Amino acid sequence: MSFFELPGLRPPIEPRMPVWSRGPAGMVPGVVPVALLVARTDTHAVLVDGLLAYPTGFDFDLAVRRRPGRPRQHRHREPFRGVDLHLEVGFADGRTAGNHPRHWPRPSGNQLPDPPLLYQSTSGPDGGHVWLWGLPPPGPLTFSCEWPAEQVPPSQAVLDAGLVLAAAARAQTLWPTKASA
Amino acid sequence: MVSASEPPELPEPEVEYRRPAWVEPPADIIPGVVPVELILARTPQRAIGLSGIRAYPVGFACTLHLRLREDIPGEQSNFGAFNMFGDGVDPAGEFADYYLRFGVGFADGRKATNLDHRRDLDEIPAPDPPTLWLVRWEGYDRLAWEVDVWVWGLPPPGPLAFVCEWPARDIPETRAEIDAGLVLAAASRAVPIWPDQDPR
Repeated sequence: MSFFELPGLRPPIEPRMPVWSRGPAGMVPGVVPVALLVARTDTHAVLVDGLLAYPTGFDFDLAVRRRPGRPRQHRHREPFRGVDLHLEVGFADGRTAGNHPRHWPRPSGNQLPDPPLLYQSTSGPDGGHVWLWGLPPPGPLTFSCEWPAEQVPPSQAVLDAGLVLAAAARAQTLWPTKASA
Repeated sequence: MVSASEPPELPEPEVEYRRPAWVEPPADIIPGVVPVELILARTPQRAIGLSGIRAYPVGFACTLHLRLREDIPGEQSNFGAFNMFGDGVDPAGEFADYYLRFGVGFADGRKATNLDHRRDLDEIPAPDPPTLWLVRWEGYDRLAWEVDVWVWGLPPPGPLAFVCEWPARDIPETRAEIDAGLVLAAASRAVPIWPDQDPR
């Protein structure tokens, strides 16, 4: 018998992220062929970039760009608080979702929150990564932001939701089940 | 000693450090987007996809989608994502097979891969394009990793190849090609955020 005994394999871990917080892991998303400039001041810009769509929602980078060569204010050394950059996504039917804590769902058993729901998985000086659970209806899809700490006034950009819906329809299932093949 | 009549010394304004162009996409450009959606490799348990080429006048970014079909006990090193572009695994050493390889190939024979010599940010002179650099990665549920890659240098007209290989997980060298003209056209659609900004 060997001195080293291999341990038994631990059982697989069930996915831990709520279904409303990420895109389906078994898919390659469709690409929305647009990058949006949502806000611009003399020193900062906010972009929606890297829009990728799934049948259950879409994700994107909320990208903060600083104008190159401009002096930074020393208060920037303070810890970045991502929620300072408020983002809201509005559907054509009037529903909205945002990254402000008041938009966050209150867990209640296995009950899923009503879409749309916006989940910002990362926040930092360069922005963050955002997942929006729920596809929009046809019509205008509005991205609004405001960043008081950096004097970015309320600003918005509008996208044709049809581009998101078309991209979601192109998302590819990696391992189709017999039922879906 | 400071005289009471002298104004207090104020700190110098802090000018933002600009990283080399070959390290990340330009901060002051809105990219043109190519709706490319590729499955580069797929085995019964693992897959590598590529999507969303964002083109700039000096290069392009894209996203790799690294996927496991299900949680696999004992799976090594988080799908190899941490191995990519890192210093932790010697691609020619003991763990060579675990090194997930990825690269791009241009029609003129030039290429950039994650096996290329890792450079310091302050390296002078700058490397010759194309170069390939990891700019963002995020994983969840032990099943999925998203890896954003920056390729500095635009391809010439002709086929643009995306190539991957992961020997330890039975993914052979696999390539997918697109028309580089799609990337060049998207790069020409990129626009400056601040049009009055001096070009970099």
